[in-house]
Amino acid sequence: MSDNTNMNLNTNESGEEQQPMSLDDGRRVKVLSPGMMVFKRFIRNKLAIVGICILVFMFLFSFLGGVISPYRQDQVFHKYDKANKEYAGAVVNTDYRFTAAEGFTLTTMTRANFNSKVKGSEEAEVKFEADDVTYLARKVDDNFYTLSVGEQLGTVTVLGKITDIKSIGDAELSKALKDAATAAVKASATSFEAEGVTYTLTKGAAKSYVINGMKEVAMVSMLNFDAFTSEYDTLARSFAFRKACETAMHAGADSFEVDGTTYRLDIEDETNAVAYLGDTEVVNISNIIVNPVNNGVFLSIDYKAAVAEAIAEKHTTFDFVDENGETVKNTVTMRNNNYVIFTEQATDLIDMYAPPSKEHWLGTDDHGMDVLTRLMYGGRISLMVGFIVMILENLIGIVIGGISGYFGGWVDTMLMRFVDLFNSIPYYPMMIIAGAIMDSFEVNPYVRLYMMMAIMGIMGWTGVARVVRGQILSLREQDFMVATEATGIAVSRRIFRHLVPNVMPLLIVQATMGLGGIILTEATLSFLGLGIKYPLASWGSIINAASNIYVMTYCWFIWIPAGLLIVLTVLGFNFVGDGLRDAFDPKMKR
Amino acid sequence: MSEVKEKILNEEDQKISVESGEGASDNVLEVKHLCKYFPIKAGLFGRVVGHVHAVEDVSFTLKRGTTMGLVGESGCGKTTIGKTILDLTPKTSGEVIFNGNVHLDKMSSKELRAFRPKIQIIFQDPYSSLSPRLPVGEIIGEAVREHNLVPPEEFDDYITRIMEACGLHDYQKDRYPHEFSGGQRQRICIARAVALNPDFIVCDEPVSALDVSIQAQIINLLEDLQEKFNLTYLFISHDLSVVQHISDTVGVMYLGNMVEYASKEEIFANPLHPYTQALFSAIPVPDPTIKMNRIILEGSIPSPSNPPSGCKFHTRCRNCKGVCRKMAPRTMDMGNGHTVACHIYDPESGYATEEESKPEE
Repeated sequence: MSDNTNMNLNTNESGEEQQPMSLDDGRRVKVLSPGMMVFKRFIRNKLAIVGICILVFMFLFSFLGGVISPYRQDQVFHKYDKANKEYAGAVVNTDYRFTAAEGFTLTTMTRANFNSKVKGSEEAEVKFEADDVTYLARKVDDNFYTLSVGEQLGTVTVLGKITDIKSIGDAELSKALKDAATAAVKASATSFEAEGVTYTLTKGAAKSYVINGMKEVAMVSMLNFDAFTSEYDTLARSFAFRKACETAMHAGADSFEVDGTTYRLDIEDETNAVAYLGDTEVVNISNIIVNPVNNGVFLSIDYKAAVAEAIAEKHTTFDFVDENGETVKNTVTMRNNNYVIFTEQATDLIDMYAPPSKEHWLGTDDHGMDVLTRLMYGGRISLMVGFIVMILENLIGIVIGGISGYFGGWVDTMLMRFVDLFNSIPYYPMMIIAGAIMDSFEVNPYVRLYMMMAIMGIMGWTGVARVVRGQILSLREQDFMVATEATGIAVSRRIFRHLVPNVMPLLIVQATMGLGGIILTEATLSFLGLGIKYPLASWGSIINAASNIYVMTYCWFIWIPAGLLIVLTVLGFNFVGDGLRDAFDPKMKR
Repeated sequence: MSEVKEKILNEEDQKISVESGEGASDNVLEVKHLCKYFPIKAGLFGRVVGHVHAVEDVSFTLKRGTTMGLVGESGCGKTTIGKTILDLTPKTSGEVIFNGNVHLDKMSSKELRAFRPKIQIIFQDPYSSLSPRLPVGEIIGEAVREHNLVPPEEFDDYITRIMEACGLHDYQKDRYPHEFSGGQRQRICIARAVALNPDFIVCDEPVSALDVSIQAQIINLLEDLQEKFNLTYLFISHDLSVVQHISDTVGVMYLGNMVEYASKEEIFANPLHPYTQALFSAIPVPDPTIKMNRIILEGSIPSPSNPPSGCKFHTRCRNCKGVCRKMAPRTMDMGNGHTVACHIYDPESGYATEEESKPEE
């Protein structure tokens, strides 16, 4: 069918033209414009097609990928994970704690004198003075003392055979005490004992003696009393409770009575115990002081008790069930003389260096951002920088090179010396200085991007200018350019219809090859930290992560893909550039 | 169809010939004492240390509808004359007058551009003289459109006519130069020149890059067009047979000077200048039985930047005498418009009375 039509067409044509075909007749060859010829030659070049495929992929990946990707380029991903955090510190108490009875205040002097005179003494009873008061420190047990002061309990008046005992103040004198006092007076003793307590008699007014008893005014202990709930705070602080409790502890009793209330005592060892009222935990007794590491954190007494228990039992780990009912793992470590408790806490962590997963195909980077998405957005920047810088370079280069080549003479000389001047500016120091200036002014990353493109364009046009100038210089002398002058064609038309189209192929090839170079330069600058800055991404700045040895060694998924993309893109541009050069070359008539 | 075209073409021809016939001087081109020196620059500041005397004191006149052949060995300044006449390279001194009153160097650039179509050039190399990125129709028609030579609605038709007149086909308009052979390209160049309806065309060795069969076609085409459009040619060539075929008058150049000028018949029958004689003796004769009497010139053409004193040809002239080394010869009119610059024909030079002397070694 199609053959038929062709034949018809042929006969029609020959019918109209009425001309026989000759050997060199153009009708035998399909008419192709130079552009079409170039295209045909280009698509026959396999390498160039590979290059085009790579570039198409890169463009889709960068410009479409960013749209498809569910993440933003600066989206930081978090994860909840258990982290061992320093949570509390514990110390075994080695300081005496003084608890005064109600209505009595212990002066600082008293505490100091106690520490200096009584501490470490083997004596069961030590007397010391402080602030003109004589204290009697009685050692009940190790690290448990009671402090007493003399007190006038009553007077014994001897009237012949009758002794009359009157109490002083509201002190109550028991029958046994009275009897013992009477007997002592009769025996002219200066001291006596009653109910296991020693009293002294001092001569007072005529025929009367004063009974001096010792009153316990304070207790000194190394134990800490912590109420489980705030309602028992006062109780836990009270002298009576502490005394009774500690006495019971040292006696090994399982209960004690304070103010008519009986408390059960659960003794772990000599320094740890818990007092119960009925079945409720009331007060925890321990020689271990637990403090939170961070200010503002409240440590529950349960936790403190658990820590104390763990330390007492020399456990290195213990589980603690917190108020939410969750079991928290704790680790106890000794640091100097203190204990540090690490708690595994559920923390909002930035998901750094996550390995590739279903959510993050190429894992996450050091900012916890999705590497694949960063690569897509980075590709946009890298390609955009490449193209804009290339266009900028070519615009400046074509104008200056064109003027230089077309007009020649002193204009040419001037402009070429200007080009030499530009060529002698060292590129990288210049970029480093520019980067440092922008760093110090804390330039917005977007402004920085534009500035970088501008600087790269301004630094890079000289090559284009040289090429254009050389090409135009040689074209200007060609006969067809002389012919345009001879036929009187306007200068603008001469330049744009004749010169530019003939320079274009070379420029296209140059620009395509140059694009790879520009992308490499941008990657280098970004790698050095002078180019694109967070939150913007570029392939170079993504590779920058590999300057960290950990990333380089273990996080291949961050930097290898970025490196591959750069290599592939540059390779693609070079393939296409090579293909274009071959296609534009009229000698390549394949 | 073709009949109609032919008619239009004929009408056009008449119009053109009428136009160019009116109000124009009989002499299309007058060249008076034309000189072209190219400066030689040297040193740090581009000081001019000397000049290449490419064209020195050349004068001739070209009548409308005639062809002048310009011959000489390579480097003698033939092409430079052609380009200098068209002001494609500015002349150093002398006068070039078109149509009796047009001085190119006195025109503004705008006027010059408007006058350009009247004077055209065909280049030697048909490969480099066509812009590779333009289709043929555009190459031919570009300047026609630029100068509004034909109304836009007739443009296509006009280009078709010109192409056909130059032996090209209508359907080749959209093709590009690389698709054509050398002869076809030269036809395109000719079409480009002819399309502008010129009075005068410099043919700068238009056939020397072509093979002999194509040369004949092109020469015939040029002759046809001359007839059709009443063209005037300055035909530069080193091929004497071609010049003999096409020219009405012939000028012989040596080292920037025109040593002899005469009508074709006159000069081929009676070459006067020793150089012309040597040159013409080299014309091959297609008959093996005839013994060629060749005059072999020794040495090569001297440097035009440092031309010999006196007669420039004296270093190679077999008739050289003392006066030739000392004094530049005058141009002598030998009658019939035959001029020659040689002391032999100048009775006042004292050549005839001087003793024969060997050229200094």
